[in-house]
Amino acid sequence: MISLIIFYIISALVLIGSAGVIFSRNIVYAAFSLFLALLGTAGVFVLLLAEFLAIVQILIYGGAVVTVILFALMLTKIDDFRSLSNINYWPVSAFLSLIVLITLILGVSQAKINTQNLGLVKFNDFSNDLFEYWGIPFEIASLVLLVALIGAIVILKDKGNDS
Amino acid sequence: MIELIHIQILSALMFCIGVYGVITRRSAILILMCVELMLNAVNINLIGFSAFRDFSQNQRIFGHVMIVFIITIAAVELALAIAIILRLYKNKSSVNVDEVDLMKW
Amino acid sequence: MGVNLAYFPPVICGISFILTVFFTRKAPLISSLISVFAILSSFILFIFILIDFLSPNLNSIDFSIDWIDVLDTRISWGILLDSLSVTMLGLITLVALLVQVYSISYMKGDSRFGWYFSVHSLFAAAMIAVVLVDNLLLMYFAWELVGLGSYLLIGFWYEKRAASEAAKKAFITTRIGDVALLIGIILIFKSTGTFNISSIFHIANNGGINENILTISTFLIFLGAMGKSAQFPFHVWLPDAMEGPTPVSALIHAATMVAAGVYLVARMMPLFSLAPYVLDFVVFIGLFTFIFGGTMAIVMHDIKRVLAYSTISHLGLMMLSLGFMGIASAIFHLIVHGVSKALLFLGAGSLMHEMEGETDIRNMGGLVNKMPITAITFIIGSVSLAGIIPLSGFFSKDEILLTVFEKGGILILFLTLIGAFLSSLYMFRLTFITFFGSLKSDNSKIGESPILMTLPLILLALLAIFMSALLLEISTFKGFIFFISGYKAHLNLLLIVFSSILSFVALILAWFIYIKDSKYLTDWFKLNMNCFYKLLLNKYYIDELYQYVINQIVLRFAQFIALFDRLVVNDIGVDKSSLSVKSLGLKLKFIQTGKMHGYAISMVIGFLILIFTWAIL
Repeated sequence: MISLIIFYIISALVLIGSAGVIFSRNIVYAAFSLFLALLGTAGVFVLLLAEFLAIVQILIYGGAVVTVILFALMLTKIDDFRSLSNINYWPVSAFLSLIVLITLILGVSQAKINTQNLGLVKFNDFSNDLFEYWGIPFEIASLVLLVALIGAIVILKDKGNDS
Repeated sequence: MIELIHIQILSALMFCIGVYGVITRRSAILILMCVELMLNAVNINLIGFSAFRDFSQNQRIFGHVMIVFIITIAAVELALAIAIILRLYKNKSSVNVDEVDLMKW
Repeated sequence: MGVNLAYFPPVICGISFILTVFFTRKAPLISSLISVFAILSSFILFIFILIDFLSPNLNSIDFSIDWIDVLDTRISWGILLDSLSVTMLGLITLVALLVQVYSISYMKGDSRFGWYFSVHSLFAAAMIAVVLVDNLLLMYFAWELVGLGSYLLIGFWYEKRAASEAAKKAFITTRIGDVALLIGIILIFKSTGTFNISSIFHIANNGGINENILTISTFLIFLGAMGKSAQFPFHVWLPDAMEGPTPVSALIHAATMVAAGVYLVARMMPLFSLAPYVLDFVVFIGLFTFIFGGTMAIVMHDIKRVLAYSTISHLGLMMLSLGFMGIASAIFHLIVHGVSKALLFLGAGSLMHEMEGETDIRNMGGLVNKMPITAITFIIGSVSLAGIIPLSGFFSKDEILLTVFEKGGILILFLTLIGAFLSSLYMFRLTFITFFGSLKSDNSKIGESPILMTLPLILLALLAIFMSALLLEISTFKGFIFFISGYKAHLNLLLIVFSSILSFVALILAWFIYIKDSKYLTDWFKLNMNCFYKLLLNKYYIDELYQYVINQIVLRFAQFIALFDRLVVNDIGVDKSSLSVKSLGLKLKFIQTGKMHGYAISMVIGFLILIFTWAIL
């Protein structure tokens, strides 16, 4: 019961954060709202007994992603906050996302998966699986990271200045 | 007790907010943030499915592993997207996506 | 030992073709040597196989490797060795070997010397494959390769318009038969489910094939054989095929191309024997072609054309024999005729070689003193074909006459004898005009051909004389007829006497007309036979008839089809659809706005469509 109340509070935080991202007129506020939403997600992870993922979530999203986005904001000087949203598109957008929402919720309610017991995925099992069964994809993912790193550098490097 | 449907609805809401943001926002950075929201919605959904005992151990571990990969790919995507945005800003002094429409017919 | 090597003859010749085409283009002499070596080794292999086969306990061998195996259908690469195919293998390799040796000298200095031998290898490989393979599909494959080889060789001097036209004519005419053959094979496959020849016979003998289908498919197969063997409606390509080099004519007439048709009918005889109507048709076509070809051969002036019509006529004789299920006599005549005809063509080639391509016999005459070897061998060949008694041609003809007499009755025997008389007459005419009489002054400097050309002539002449020994019984070998068909040969004295008398009458008649130049006879012929003579000289106007049919019916129809193709298939089917795609693309490209929001909206809509489709399904 208590966990349900906590879940509602965290959900409210997540949704408020998300709404802040899409509605706030100040882009920096939007970034902090995103941070809130991501932290809330980490809270959901904790509630569902996935501590490791919660920590990863906070470290990567809360630490890295939001920081990088703030850096990007800093590097791109944006004065005109009014032009952040495209006013013409909002009815279409609202309509479409509403339909998506209804579809998803309908789908969820149709499925009717009755679940009761929360269970812990043991960290040992998880890491064994990750490094044995998923070893090769894991290594490939690290390669992808490397490639992305190099790609980002190449994109940002000024071509004319070398000579 | 928390049930699967609660988490699914939270995830659906968050996803739709992300969709709304991607379509309405003009600034590329904000669109990026909305994409991150959508990815997190997916993560919440996955953790929801892998948190309950009703599913087998392997399925639940699979959910966790998937989340790890999604976070990785999200980081990759973010790095490249920020690089592109910065390059865009250098060239056009703007990060509004509707001003970048050279790639058309 | 030998029978296990039966795979090799076609393979060796095929490899020789590949080698000479791809690797020794720059060295034509090496090409020719490779080719001759290939066919020589095939011939040696034949001897080994034959030695194995002469042991009495060996009937037929069928071994194969799987090629295609789909569900119930199994198609294999395999070899079927029995007395028939071994005999054919011997004929093909021997004649091809001699022709190639001869060609080394005959074709010397030609600009495509190497290519000539490459095609010879291909031709030999294909023909050997036709006689050796154990299933109809592969046989058809090799059959088409034979057609290709003949096309390439007939049109070898393709700079000459006549040669390329003749090559096309040969290819297209035989093609009509080939299509029928293919349909026949498919029909048989459809009702038996196998291409393997022995299995087909087994199924057919047990009544596994519907009678109507059997009749139709054997008829179609016979059409294929008619095309290749130049039987009556399809005979037009063979005389024109004379445009190729003369050794090629020898090869085509003696061993390869035309022999394929006779071999096919002989090979499929168990099927034919179940279809009596088709056998009657075979008899009719064979008899008609025998007489029909003979009449035309009498009046031709071109030495090679005389020989060509003679070939048509003799192929008709073989078909006649096959129509009475006389496989052994037909194949025996095929061999004897093949050897004699190869000899005659090579002799004609020797003449042409020395006379700088002259083929009109009216410009020859009295050459017997100038080219003694060529003349004597040529005379031996013609006497053999004319059926004078001690030579092999007499015995083979006699075998067929015997078959006809036993199975066909007196009327058909009578008609056959007329044809035999004609064939004696034109052979003597040809010989007398070419080699006897007065020597033309232009020809006074002519000498004998080189040794490489006369050697095959001498060998073939010896064979033409002594081939009749094949009929004799030597220890375990009970004679050729027994070897092929399993029953003993026998002679009918009355028939021998009668056909000999006919041949001698023809000899005397030819002597009076063409050497003595008897005024009485020639005047009589001129008076009474003039229109007939003109008809014969124009080959019964069949070429004109075909041309008319092609111009008036085929081309008209083709024009209509072309119109249909242009208006419906091209304009509507191809152009219109492509244009509509193009214009649609021109309109659709505006979807690519470059606006990211539009793309995002489309993505969401697409996502929704996917979900709904999935939900509905």
